[in-house]
Amino acid sequence: MNYPFWNVPHIGSGWVIGLIAIFHIMISHFAVGGGLYLPMAEQKALREGRQDWLDTLRSHSKFFLVLTGVFGTVSGVGIWFAIGLANPEATSTLIHNFVFAWAIEWVVFLVELSTIVVYYYTWGRISNELHIKVGYAYAISSFLTLVVINGILTFMLTPGDAWLAVAGTGREASRFWQAFFNPTYWPSLFLRSAVCVSLAGIWALVTCSRIDGEARPQLKTDLVRWSAKWLLPSFIAMPFILGWYLWLVPESQRALLQLGMTTIGTGAFTQVTRVALIMVLTSATVVGLVYFLAWRLPLSFGRAHALAILLLGLVVTAAGEYSREMLRKPYVIGRHMYSNGVRVSEVARFNRDGYLPQSPWVPANATVLQRGQIMFRGECMACHTADAYRSMKVLLEGRDREAISRLLAILHDSKPDSPYKAFMPPLVGTAEEVTALGDYLESLARPAAHQAKD
Amino acid sequence: MRKPIQAAYAWANERLDLDDMVKFARKKTVPEHRHSAWYYWGGITLFFFLAQAVSGVLLLLYYRPGPDAYESVRQITFDIHFGWLIRSTHSWAANLMLISIFVHMFSVYFMKAYRSPREFGWWSGIVLLMMSMVFGFSGYLLPMNELAYFATKVGLEIPASLPVIGPVMADLVRGGLEVNEFTVHRFFALHVVVLPALFIPLLGFHLWLVQKHGNALPPSEEARPAAARRSIPFFPNFMLKDLAMWLIALNILAVLAAMFPWDLGQAADPLKPAPRGIHPEWYFMSQFQVLKVFGNWLPGAAGEIIGLVWFTLGMILWCIIPLYDPRNDGGRRGRRATYFGLLALLILIVTTAWGYWAIHSETLTDARPAPPIAGAALTPHQQIRSNPPAP
Repeated sequence: MNYPFWNVPHIGSGWVIGLIAIFHIMISHFAVGGGLYLPMAEQKALREGRQDWLDTLRSHSKFFLVLTGVFGTVSGVGIWFAIGLANPEATSTLIHNFVFAWAIEWVVFLVELSTIVVYYYTWGRISNELHIKVGYAYAISSFLTLVVINGILTFMLTPGDAWLAVAGTGREASRFWQAFFNPTYWPSLFLRSAVCVSLAGIWALVTCSRIDGEARPQLKTDLVRWSAKWLLPSFIAMPFILGWYLWLVPESQRALLQLGMTTIGTGAFTQVTRVALIMVLTSATVVGLVYFLAWRLPLSFGRAHALAILLLGLVVTAAGEYSREMLRKPYVIGRHMYSNGVRVSEVARFNRDGYLPQSPWVPANATVLQRGQIMFRGECMACHTADAYRSMKVLLEGRDREAISRLLAILHDSKPDSPYKAFMPPLVGTAEEVTALGDYLESLARPAAHQAKD
Repeated sequence: MRKPIQAAYAWANERLDLDDMVKFARKKTVPEHRHSAWYYWGGITLFFFLAQAVSGVLLLLYYRPGPDAYESVRQITFDIHFGWLIRSTHSWAANLMLISIFVHMFSVYFMKAYRSPREFGWWSGIVLLMMSMVFGFSGYLLPMNELAYFATKVGLEIPASLPVIGPVMADLVRGGLEVNEFTVHRFFALHVVVLPALFIPLLGFHLWLVQKHGNALPPSEEARPAAARRSIPFFPNFMLKDLAMWLIALNILAVLAAMFPWDLGQAADPLKPAPRGIHPEWYFMSQFQVLKVFGNWLPGAAGEIIGLVWFTLGMILWCIIPLYDPRNDGGRRGRRATYFGLLALLILIVTTAWGYWAIHSETLTDARPAPPIAGAALTPHQQIRSNPPAP
């Protein structure tokens, strides 16, 4: 309520974060996995006296440097910039809790960037042993960035009872370590590490696909197969880690995955199940394609094959991140703050004293419709748009004013048996504010009928 | 682990002569050139057919033709675990199969793969396409929802307009004067018994012909000296790539089925007026639009009759192309056949797009307001099922 609302027409602010995040995760996880791939491949090449491998690795490290150092860093900053605008209350909570973690993150991030630059520009200029050490220094620092950020991301799903006990008291930072090493921290770290290793293999295959198989058959065969092996650990371990992760997710959140088994809906009520299915199936497809096209037929492994695998990897990443985000519903910080920035502890007060009086963005002489619009912006716009993504016009199409009131009453009461409770925050505010919201929604869904009444 | 597998292979080999099959598959080659990607479309079509066969059998476990048709599909979609996924997979696979058949057919056409000795491959392929369209038409009615009911009703009015035999044919297919539960029974029998019984042997014949004659070379490759042409072994190289394509096809199917689940809509009510913009599925849209255009130009049933004659003539020309352009000498007939193919493709695309555009315009001009959903009419649970307001 203390911050302005960021209105992104048609796609909504969530998709701004999502679009940046999908690309960022694809690249940042490659930065971690690829950080290990490069020195390990270099070590193997030196041990086996394969100069042709070293030439290819040098070219791969240039691609790696540009992709992770430029696109990875810019998109990473972009995410935090976007979440600050889209959900300032939640971002504020994270900053107040994890400022120390972010300080660590920036230190290791600087080390990471410096070492990859040194690694690329010192090919053939320093001793092989030292060059490999620089490579491993990069690998360790990039892994540490994951170690840190993983604590913050998992906190949002499972902040843990210790932190929740002091939430809102001003002593939250005293439970920093409990919040950081929260219940889903370890399975998530293993899960992401497995993804990093897979992505290292997938991106390496993109480089390998450019090797001329007819001119250099041995090099292409060996390097394609060695890169393909990088997908094996995650293929074997992923189902177990995923099971471990889901086991530690609260029962209420796990239940969100089950709704889509029995029924469909056009909305997000079943979307998380459907997207999770795509994630599992596409992961299997990636492994199958790598086996058929790269492992079995390395010489004819071409750019189109590599790009198809990369594209499917992007689908898995997008589906995985979407599922993770959706599993948090109806919260943005589990059991503490709803996805629209309203704290669980504030619901009763907002219902009693009103939602709008807490906001500095309500003009003194605001009309009912304006008040309704501000209610919509504050309480609905984190997930809905007026006319496109999760469009209120479409979702309320054909409903009369009474039907809209009934829906709002169900959302406001948020009774335990409410089918909306699993995904949607309770609607907070006084009866007059809820009526104003209803009028505004009617003006979106049935503009003609609304105008006729006026 | 390797030893038991080898022992099992040796046991099967003694009885089935597997070595001979592998030897044959290794000897068989597939040309490799810049148009090779088109060779995979036949396999992709086969994959979508298999996906439909499997999902169709699963749907059969719960589907009940007749008066319960809609209710049984409602149960499949809303009550049975992953029933929505099976139904959605079946519907999407049908559409994707038709898309891949069209791509396969036109790629075969423009690569001149209908030429001697592959004429029967071309003809059997055309019959398979037509049967696939009938599969689609008969399957569309089975949920007996509002759209299916009216689309079938409109669809059957086309043959009914033919003089003398038209009404008899339409009554025979409908099982009466109107589309009703008997029509569902007849379409069901056609969809799950008659068509598969004809389709599967013909598909076997089509695949046998591909096996017998091998993959055709496009004219640009044939013009090159034999020594300059490249090929890859069918087994394992082509087969592995084919399997990779199947995996990609499976993924596309899964994404579409999961992200855009097939809608059920309202139960058919013959007493209700037809919904706005009622139209056939996309693969009949071209014919539908041509009939509409001729119907508007000419009075009475003459328009429809001329339209049907137009299709029949087009189909006959499409079928006799291998007889008109049989040789690989790159002569005038070959060029004319290519122009004819381009014209057919253009007409198909333009009339389909025209059909959708016309329906869109009609819907806009006939913008009747939808009746409001009364507040007390639906419980929250029903609201989620019928029109869920997503968070």
